[in-house]
Amino acid sequence: MRKLQAALFVAVLTMVAIGLSSCGGSGGKEGGTLSGSYASFPELDPTISFSAEGWTAMYDTYLPLLTYKHAGGEEGTEVVPALAESLPEVSSDGKTYKLRLRKGLKYSDGTPVKASDFTASIERMFKLDSYGSSFFTDIVGAEEFAETKSGGISGIKADDKTGEITIELTRPRGTFVNELALLYAAVLPADTPAKNLTGNPPPATGPYEIATVERGRGWTYKRNPEWAKSNAARIPEVPSGHVDQIDISVVRNASTQVNEIERDKTNWMQTVVPADLYSKVKNRYEGTQFRVEHPINVYFFWMNTSRPPFDDVKVRQAVNYAVDPAALERIYSGALAASHQILPEGMPGHESFDLYPHNMAKAKELLAEANPSDREITVWTDNESPNNDAGAYYANLLEELGFDVNLKTINADVYFQTIGNPSTSNLDTGWADWFADYPHPNDFIEPNFAAESPFNLSHLEVPKLDEKIAGLAEEQLDAQVEGEYAQLDRELMEQAPWAPYGTNTVSTFVDSEIELDKVIFNPTMGQDLTSFQFK
Amino acid sequence: MESRSPWYLAYRRLRRNRVALSFGALFVAIALFALAAPLWASDVAHTTPNATHTTETVEVGGEQREVVDREGGPIGPLWLGAGGRFFLGADGHLGRDEMVRLMYGGRTSLFVGVTAALITVLLATLLGLLSGYYRGWVDGLIARVLDVVWAFPVTLLGAALGLALALGGLRIGPIVISGDSVWVPILIIGFVYAPYVTRPVRGEVLALREQEFVEAAVSQGAGPLRIMFGELLPNVLSTLIVFFAISVANSMLLESMLSFLGVGVQPPNTSWGTMIAEGFELITSSPLLTVLPGAMLLLTVLAVNVFADGLRDALDPRAKRRLEVHAGQTEPEGTAA
Repeated sequence: MRKLQAALFVAVLTMVAIGLSSCGGSGGKEGGTLSGSYASFPELDPTISFSAEGWTAMYDTYLPLLTYKHAGGEEGTEVVPALAESLPEVSSDGKTYKLRLRKGLKYSDGTPVKASDFTASIERMFKLDSYGSSFFTDIVGAEEFAETKSGGISGIKADDKTGEITIELTRPRGTFVNELALLYAAVLPADTPAKNLTGNPPPATGPYEIATVERGRGWTYKRNPEWAKSNAARIPEVPSGHVDQIDISVVRNASTQVNEIERDKTNWMQTVVPADLYSKVKNRYEGTQFRVEHPINVYFFWMNTSRPPFDDVKVRQAVNYAVDPAALERIYSGALAASHQILPEGMPGHESFDLYPHNMAKAKELLAEANPSDREITVWTDNESPNNDAGAYYANLLEELGFDVNLKTINADVYFQTIGNPSTSNLDTGWADWFADYPHPNDFIEPNFAAESPFNLSHLEVPKLDEKIAGLAEEQLDAQVEGEYAQLDRELMEQAPWAPYGTNTVSTFVDSEIELDKVIFNPTMGQDLTSFQFK
Repeated sequence: MESRSPWYLAYRRLRRNRVALSFGALFVAIALFALAAPLWASDVAHTTPNATHTTETVEVGGEQREVVDREGGPIGPLWLGAGGRFFLGADGHLGRDEMVRLMYGGRTSLFVGVTAALITVLLATLLGLLSGYYRGWVDGLIARVLDVVWAFPVTLLGAALGLALALGGLRIGPIVISGDSVWVPILIIGFVYAPYVTRPVRGEVLALREQEFVEAAVSQGAGPLRIMFGELLPNVLSTLIVFFAISVANSMLLESMLSFLGVGVQPPNTSWGTMIAEGFELITSSPLLTVLPGAMLLLTVLAVNVFADGLRDALDPRAKRRLEVHAGQTEPEGTAA
């Protein structure tokens, strides 16, 4: 009898525990309409959209063969299968990638997804001259197709019957798996017209479809009717989402967005909380409605190593010693996580170090040793706050070091075009930032430091390092390669072509109705719309 | 009966207008405030308008205070608490001295306003004289060109030109002006306002060229240049002086609008317009950063406008009378005693 009582007691306790865990653990409601605000209207065509806003908007709508894991932090940098059954099989020479499309997948309009749609989608990318096409030019025949826009890309073979897709590359490309997971490579129906479809987005493969678009003003999502019927069970890596509808409106003024969240009129703002309100919002809502997020980026001052005075490594090192992260943290209203290296935290291959801790005396000493004859320099920055302030701070710092500085503040819309144009005169030094296209260290190293890269603002040309960069670019990322990238980061900083000063954080700010703890911030794609849930 | 020159009579009329004189004095005070910028910067604030003090501290009543706190909040006005340093506080994340920037910003705003107004009036004078004197196809051509400029709203045209020239600068023959030069907004403002002054000048010249003194000059063999600049110009001078004063106020306003939009005065130069734009980012936490340059601009424009009004009344009392009649304030001309 006592045993029976004990068993009953345990059973009751277990049931209570299960009941409690179901209340607290999974928590939250299913369904409802999420309202969100954006500060600008992004392109809503996955093939051409290259902004962080656009990627957040379409992460759960258009699926590539592979995707980034629906998770935050380091876990979110992992590439997982989406429309493909598994990660690609890579040949031993690193030039052939084999994937297989999952069977029975459908677009939101009911059309079956075919392997040849992938070929058509990559071709559409080249037809539209998408920024993303630069990641796929190593596919055999892609460069010719980019020029002629006809005849197909011979390096992609797709079999609609078996779903097999084979991609041949002209050379090994260690980043290709990451690139296949970008939205540019999202699979769309083969007959999707080669024009910007923002106003009338193509059918979706993900859990949500874009239902209506009011250009410049907002858009709405509804559940993809084919997701539950055909795709959800076949793609377990992509969650189905909690809310039934998402209404996004464009509110240009970020302060208004904050105000609407505080008054529970909007559930979420995609925009970063503005500098003016940052500390107030952070202090009042951190942990309950506000969270600091860490996308993978680096902010830095570049120095042109091909012309005086920055052709002298001592001058560049002096500048690195002079830059004060404490000042820049203030300039970025406390939103900057200071660091003094190229690979930021969260990027595979990142190992913390600081070769140049702030030391003005050391900076002046190095500069006295170098004694550059040319002290007339132009400092470039854009006019967006607080980057303009960072540029003004840098100009003032260089003046303090004894340079005769001319500060050029350029409209942000054309800033990178201007400083990236070799014919622009007086490209001495300036501000810049670099955001990860995908979480692979080569995405930071090769474009910025390979001698022939058009993005190499510092014009660094060290043959030994160049060789190492090219060699690593062909390797598939593993622990050993990550270690080599960490070493390369250090070797590059010894050359001091940049004075990196930190990673800019962003924020997730939701109203009191949303479960903040459940909102996922993927470091590549931003907030995951499938993770939003009402309390 | 003692004869007095029209200029002397105008001076006497202006002297009697206490309101206009008060606002004229206010304008002079603002100009002196701006001109004293280097003195205040070097002897009181011990800084320059662009020197950053982001990580510095300042001693206030024996206590060290951060010029910019760790979350980027600037120190507020210290008045004379730190011996005049940061009298009006710091300007934002960079910790520049707001008072010093306000004074230097005033110099730029006034310089842009006065110089652009000069260009407007010079252009308008030239075009108005040519147009009104020659009439015919010259008048038609100038009028159509002005119509084209007039067809665009001033701010839109100014912003479009500002954006284009801020990137590429300006090249007029051998003269090259870099995109970040303060001369870019000056030339833009001077140009876009020219049609608004040219029209009234042309109208006045058209009326004047029918007067007997012009006929007398023609009969004495005077050429077009002498008639335009020797006979007609002195007679439109009073109008030009009034338009110049009004143009100063308008130019300062347009400069601040363009600078607010980022296409006017470019960093590191500062003006009240750029200060309003910079301060606007911290409008909720540090409203003074926007209010102060805004108030200075408001006071200056008000002072110039009221003084210009008084100047017009003094130089052309009939104009005031015409306006009053138009507004129904007095009886029509001729019925009064």
